[in-house]
Amino acid sequence: MITVQSNVDIPEHSVDRRTIDRWLLHATHFLPSQGPIKVFVHHNTLHAFEDLSFDEGVLEGLRIYNSQPYFSEDRFRKEMQTGRIRLKDLEQVLLDDLGNEADRLVASFGTRYQLRLAMMQYPLRTLPDRELTWLIAEGGALQEFFCEVESEDIRSIVEKTRNDLSDAEKASHERISILPKLLNGSSVSTLEAWPEAKWKSFTLEYLWAACKQGVQSSDSRTIHNGDAQTPLDTPTPAEQREANRLVNDFLIRFCGCYLDQGFATWPMPDREHGFLNAFCSLYGSRMAMLPGWLKQLPTEIVRIRSANQDAYEVVQEELKRSQLDSHACEELVKRKLLALRGWAGMIWQMETSAPWTPKPAPAGSLVGYLAVRMILDRLAMETIQSQSQRSTGLWQAKRLDSQSHAGRSIESRAFTIFQIAQFRKWTPSSLVTLNAAEWTQLLKEVDEFSSLQRRRVFQLAYERRYRVQALDAVAVHSRKRREKRLLRSSSTLPKFQVITCIDDREESFRRHLEEVESRCETFGAAGFFAVVMYYRGAAEAHFRPLCPINIVPKHYVCEEPAFSAEMESDKRSQRRKLIGRVSHQVHSGSRTFLGGMLTGLFGTLATFPLVARVLAPHITSRIRDSIGGLVRPPATELHLERVGNGPGPEWDSQGYSTEEMAGIVVRILQDIGLVKDFSPIILFLGHGSSSLNNPHESAYNCGACSGGRGGPNARAFASMANDSRVRELVAHAGIHIPEDVRFIGGFHNTCNDRVDYYDLDRLPWPLRALFRDIQVRIDDARARNAQERVRRFESARFGLTPSEALKHVEERSEDLSQARPEYNHATNALCFVGEREWSCGLFLDRRAFLASYDPKIDDENGKIVERILQAAIPVCGGINLEYYFSTVDPEGYGCGSKLPHNIASLAGVMTGAASDLRPGLSAQMVEIHEPLRILFVVQTTPQIMQRIVKANPAIRSLVEGDWVQLALIDVATSQIMLYLKGEFVPYHVQNNSLPEVGASSEMVQSERGHLPFATIREAFGDATSEVQS
Amino acid sequence: MMDLDGMFYWFGLVVVAAPCGLVAVLGFSALVNLPLSETTISRLTQSAVLMSLLPAIGILLLMIATGRRYVPIEFGDWASIPEVHFHFRWKFIFDRLSVPFAILALVLCGVVGSFTRRYLHREEGYHRFFLLYSLFVAGITISALAGTIETLFFGWELVGLSSALLVAYFHEREHPVRNGQRVWSVYRLADASFLLGALLMHHLTGEGDFGSFVGQGTWPDGSAAISSLNALQIGLLFLLAAAGKSALVPFSGWLPRAMEGPTPSSAVFYGSLSVHLGAYLLLRVNPILEASWQLQIAVVALGLISALFGSIMSRVQSDVKSSLAYASLTQVGIIVAEIGFGFYYLALIHIMGHACLRTLQLLRAPTLLSDYHEMENAIGMRLPDSKDRMAGLLPIGLKRWWYRFGYERGYMDLILDSWIVEPFKLVFQWADRQERRWTDWLSREPSRESDAIEPHRESAERVA
Repeated sequence: MITVQSNVDIPEHSVDRRTIDRWLLHATHFLPSQGPIKVFVHHNTLHAFEDLSFDEGVLEGLRIYNSQPYFSEDRFRKEMQTGRIRLKDLEQVLLDDLGNEADRLVASFGTRYQLRLAMMQYPLRTLPDRELTWLIAEGGALQEFFCEVESEDIRSIVEKTRNDLSDAEKASHERISILPKLLNGSSVSTLEAWPEAKWKSFTLEYLWAACKQGVQSSDSRTIHNGDAQTPLDTPTPAEQREANRLVNDFLIRFCGCYLDQGFATWPMPDREHGFLNAFCSLYGSRMAMLPGWLKQLPTEIVRIRSANQDAYEVVQEELKRSQLDSHACEELVKRKLLALRGWAGMIWQMETSAPWTPKPAPAGSLVGYLAVRMILDRLAMETIQSQSQRSTGLWQAKRLDSQSHAGRSIESRAFTIFQIAQFRKWTPSSLVTLNAAEWTQLLKEVDEFSSLQRRRVFQLAYERRYRVQALDAVAVHSRKRREKRLLRSSSTLPKFQVITCIDDREESFRRHLEEVESRCETFGAAGFFAVVMYYRGAAEAHFRPLCPINIVPKHYVCEEPAFSAEMESDKRSQRRKLIGRVSHQVHSGSRTFLGGMLTGLFGTLATFPLVARVLAPHITSRIRDSIGGLVRPPATELHLERVGNGPGPEWDSQGYSTEEMAGIVVRILQDIGLVKDFSPIILFLGHGSSSLNNPHESAYNCGACSGGRGGPNARAFASMANDSRVRELVAHAGIHIPEDVRFIGGFHNTCNDRVDYYDLDRLPWPLRALFRDIQVRIDDARARNAQERVRRFESARFGLTPSEALKHVEERSEDLSQARPEYNHATNALCFVGEREWSCGLFLDRRAFLASYDPKIDDENGKIVERILQAAIPVCGGINLEYYFSTVDPEGYGCGSKLPHNIASLAGVMTGAASDLRPGLSAQMVEIHEPLRILFVVQTTPQIMQRIVKANPAIRSLVEGDWVQLALIDVATSQIMLYLKGEFVPYHVQNNSLPEVGASSEMVQSERGHLPFATIREAFGDATSEVQS
Repeated sequence: MMDLDGMFYWFGLVVVAAPCGLVAVLGFSALVNLPLSETTISRLTQSAVLMSLLPAIGILLLMIATGRRYVPIEFGDWASIPEVHFHFRWKFIFDRLSVPFAILALVLCGVVGSFTRRYLHREEGYHRFFLLYSLFVAGITISALAGTIETLFFGWELVGLSSALLVAYFHEREHPVRNGQRVWSVYRLADASFLLGALLMHHLTGEGDFGSFVGQGTWPDGSAAISSLNALQIGLLFLLAAAGKSALVPFSGWLPRAMEGPTPSSAVFYGSLSVHLGAYLLLRVNPILEASWQLQIAVVALGLISALFGSIMSRVQSDVKSSLAYASLTQVGIIVAEIGFGFYYLALIHIMGHACLRTLQLLRAPTLLSDYHEMENAIGMRLPDSKDRMAGLLPIGLKRWWYRFGYERGYMDLILDSWIVEPFKLVFQWADRQERRWTDWLSREPSRESDAIEPHRESAERVA
């Protein structure tokens, strides 16, 4: 709330441009950083607050965005009922949280810890005063105890009261001034004859009266929130809301047209001259109607135009008019931008970081937006303030506001104590003996442990439960593996090796691969495989970056038709062009007058695709696929080798030099620790996802490829690693790849679980039989993977066989009406960085990112693990936190339900006909997610980790601010060290038993929810038995 | 062996009864708070639509085979007041207009129903959606087959009610509710006008039976047995009703606002069926149009103006659903103009083609980004800016004016708000003030107890 300052503070001269720029830049940190949705990149929703700790950050989020910091208390209590959070977890985190304060006595009623535990264990209801009055008078609150109180406890409270009372009667305590009124003249002798029920209700009445009296006696009842002295002309919140609504509705349409990327056939005039100019030119025209509150707008525009003001000058003038000091001005700028933060954020993104879009916003758009917003806000507020006397709706809303500003009533506070007293078995007679100071202390204690605090502790308990399970499982499983390995005689060469992305969705795929072929070794590396490039497919129009969003590629790579197939390729590209032109014509033509008439008359033909696609999506997609074959480019190859100088987009500077390729190969092989024992075939699988009718499709793709599909990266890497000249250079780095080893690139579609391979024609004959064999294994694994995945989908019945499951996921990806093609990263909670050896065969339920790393080949400073973590912690942490926030508040942080989504300006989605742009994840994407901060388990030493945390600001803020959880594992002893407030402390295993199952498929048959950890025997490698046989 | 009339009768009965039965089942289970599973709801829905669709196709085939062009079906004489010449009976007619339209409606509803089955999976309001949907199916079937003006009005009301409630489907947010109310008020206006027209018709002909004023000819060849002036009066009222229902000028403002519900409901209602209902009404009463050339001119003019405005507004919109909404308006305008010109068969074909195409387009609306991406890839460069034939011819000042016109959606909401709603409100507020003054004077004290009552806080606490 801005308060009007006395005139002394107001700067004489207006603020200069640079100050405005600075304020603006500062304010943009609070805007969503999601650019056009075609490239969706997961990131921490509260990235702007990473310099604070997590708990401070979420509270800032609550203050600034009015979005929830944690799950609600009700939700957490539900989790307690289902056993997801146990009382033990709650007790432990509460003790840890309180530290030395736990044993501090509160009044005479036990410790702070006990009080807080009771406040969390039982639901504390806060009711509006009227409802409370009713509940006390007629709702039975004084007849029956709350249902959470055990009947034994009730009996003991009543019994005690009875005894106390007879004592009190005897001693005739004067302090109990409320008693005579309650007893209403009954004498002691009649009391004895009271039936049980009467005693119960008497106890409750006595308790309630004692609570009320106590709260009255305390001196904390003077506590009020809100300052009473706001100047008269300051807009009330109701007026503010109403003004915001007017301005928002008005600006949404304008922003939509201004940012339009070519959807409207008629672009906005003067859009290229900036926001303010476009606005003035649109609204400066005469002969037009305006709503009542904008009657003054033409005058304003004439004034701006005649004074030849630019956006900065308008802002300066408006700020001057507002008569605020500079700090308040800065706050004002921030608030103006946050009022419609989706659109403002998109303007900023389009202005600063989207040169690749068809129509980026001209520079200075955001300051133009600010200028327009300030004018409109002023006009709206003037109208509303002049109207608000008349409008009854506003007047009512104002009364509501004044209600909410009043402090809590005595009854309401007393009711809280009334509840706690029942839960904690406090007797009324003990309450009446408290003096005023003790009451004050008690109330203060209760107030301090507010709902927000309780939710914070609930969150800790929620996380603790999973963390304990996960770390126990890791410790036990890694020990089992170690013991098993000692039995194994010699290490045989693996049959084949597979490298996938570290993505949590590949966890199950890798696990199944290891199960179907125990002599298969898998690795995880960030899915761009160190190939940082702008890539353009043979049938694509533009280059797009295939690398993490924070790296700007220098290299350009094109997919080109195979040299021999150029003629055929040309023919097909002509066909494609024709089809493209026609469909564009139909697309835009069907919305016009004449074109629409033609398409309308023949529109009945649309029934066939309509009915077919809705009723038989699978067959339709087959047909479309086979037709698509006629126009798809034939055999292709990557233009990977540079013939000219320097990397660049021109034809002869596309691609890499041999040295650069060698660098990439060395980097990846070192990262994953694959420097010797190469199997004859090494498979690199990039990943992506295909789905229909899904504006967020790119969010399902590979995060390490900026929301692109990682297939080309795998293909490029394989080609590089197969090149004999590259291998020679790689050998200089100490990595000797035998000549008969071949790399193959592939693409794993995580939605329909298809795996495609690239450049198989180049596979030498001797390896082809082996490849066929590998292919069979992979097909087996992907079907099992599909089987594991479908358990999460309610629309798939239980007990599908792997091949049925595969068909089910294929149908999902081809179905127009499917709002959940896959669950993407939902449920992610872990990230392992280390050798596969200790996690292999551990059932992780698709909840873990798995990055491979071998400390044995790293130096003593941890150079390799550092570069892995530089990517892994911000990327996985970002994904995890985006899921966290979209889950705890799908409307505030996420983009709500995807059912009414409406694509606006080809840049983002709105909800319904008009709304703010919605960044974040949809409710359908996160519905099965558990909002837990990700737990990293890194195979390294505390010394190295401390150094890395200190040296990398991006890692440091996340780790030290508790945005992520961190643990280290020493594989030689299975000892785990947990990061706690800046230090690594040893973790003690709590439960040494870890269930064992034969195969993953046994786990996933009949459960939709999260599954426990388990050891899988099948993946344990029957290496021993094979060696014996 | 049932005779032909018997077959027609039973087929016709099932066509109408099946959707009504669905409403009853879904409505009853909601009423007694008996939650049905998603599978049950969607099975019931599919079978009801199929049960309605198959006999409708059967009737079509029978009509083709026997060459009959007019099959009326009546259920009883519910009310008859001879003194004032009033009849009320349920009557449905199957002819060249109603059968194709009913089949179209049922096919689209069926497809959208089965689309929604998966689209709304796990949604809290699944039952509510399908209840409203069933109400809509019943309404559209009844209106399509209605043989009397009362029956048509009944179906028309059901369609209006379910449409408005579906716009406000996400009732926890503010905008859907606001826009739902807006749609509802425009619909009421159209209803009022419809009702007046119906009354007038009764007054003139003594009954609401289409057959009686249409004469003995079958659609579209009937001729009205009323005078040209009466035709103009009734016709203008019906035209106003049709304009409200089909979002023609000046009511077009509600059409993009209706895009608040889940995508499939927007598709089937505002993209294809609801929006054509006005045009369907005009087709139904075509003899009245023919009886008055002034009326025909009015219909053509309204149609063409709507089409022109729609095409301007459509090309300015930057979000996909609004753009499609106005594109629909353009075509509905053209269809209305076609009706005005007397091309009834053309209009019917146009309705069918347009409804199917638009449904597909709206259902696919979320694919827009990848469609653009694919088209760009196919062409191999950025999509060319569409050549603006209309805009190219205009001088720059005029061009801006038209842009602004389209951008402001023809100022239609503004006009309705400031010229109709605002004066209306002022009058009532004035009346309220007078009443208060009068009652205060009578009771010698502030007479409104409601002034003192504090409003109830709906949202208790977001954060305590």
